[in-house]
Amino acid sequence: MLGLALALAVAGCGAGARSGASTATPRTGTAAAGPFPALRPAPPPSGWRTATLPSGAVLAYPASWHAIRTDSGTASAALTDAHGAFVGYLNLTPRQGGETPTNWPGFRVSHNRGEGDLVVTARGSARGVRFRDGARGTCVRDAYTTKTHLRFIEIACLLHGARADSVIVAAAAPAQWAAQWPTLARAIGAVRS
Amino acid sequence: MSIRLPLPSRTLRRLAVVGLALAALAFAGCGGSSGSSSSSTSSPPAATQSSGGGSSAGGGSSSSSSSESSSGIPQNNGGDQDEDNNGGPNDGDGNV
Repeated sequence: MLGLALALAVAGCGAGARSGASTATPRTGTAAAGPFPALRPAPPPSGWRTATLPSGAVLAYPASWHAIRTDSGTASAALTDAHGAFVGYLNLTPRQGGETPTNWPGFRVSHNRGEGDLVVTARGSARGVRFRDGARGTCVRDAYTTKTHLRFIEIACLLHGARADSVIVAAAAPAQWAAQWPTLARAIGAVRS
Repeated sequence: MSIRLPLPSRTLRRLAVVGLALAALAFAGCGGSSGSSSSSTSSPPAATQSSGGGSSAGGGSSSSSSSESSSGIPQNNGGDQDEDNNGGPNDGDGNV
């Protein structure tokens, strides 16, 4: 009976950790949610708009999207629905904290928790991702629920470029992710840093 | 004539108490995260249109405060007032 009780206790803890706010360290390459999506450096499609940061980094986004209020020195663009809710989201920010290519996956997930997100789940990472102009970066895919109970999936990359080290974030609601991914992937592949 | 039990009833009672205690510990220690997942019932944060809109980044007011880090992005009013601090997607800043 004692052994059974111990087994139940351990099993109960494990199940809670898998479904709760705490998550395991992101895996490199293939993750539980599938292989890390391919990212390819390429100029943006014609007609896309660009926003240049003081650091020289450039964010490209579709003309149907609009720039939104963001931190000074950064650029954000969004596609919103008729009610103003986010359909897709892009952000480019200079690296500013202790994030490094090595610690980036864990750093990002911890940062999202620090933002007050309720449930943060890492869904894999990729290192040595190629960007335009020879830049290289580390990317992490994760999902989180905001303080206002909105759920987002994101791919966030820390890239080391000739001009600057930058972070690009591409996010969408889970229901919109599949439809928005081609656009988000183009935006990530078009970023310059 | 006496009936001999496989285990003394006193031992059985002790085992039952230990089992119940372990079960209670499991519930108390592992159930904390179950309340964190709630359905999406609140209204979504509206995306605020940038007044800049041009080809250079700036976005919003950039008034500084004494608590800001000199190397970081201005974090006004305990938060940078962008969407990620108002329930929107998280941006890429390394601060809050």
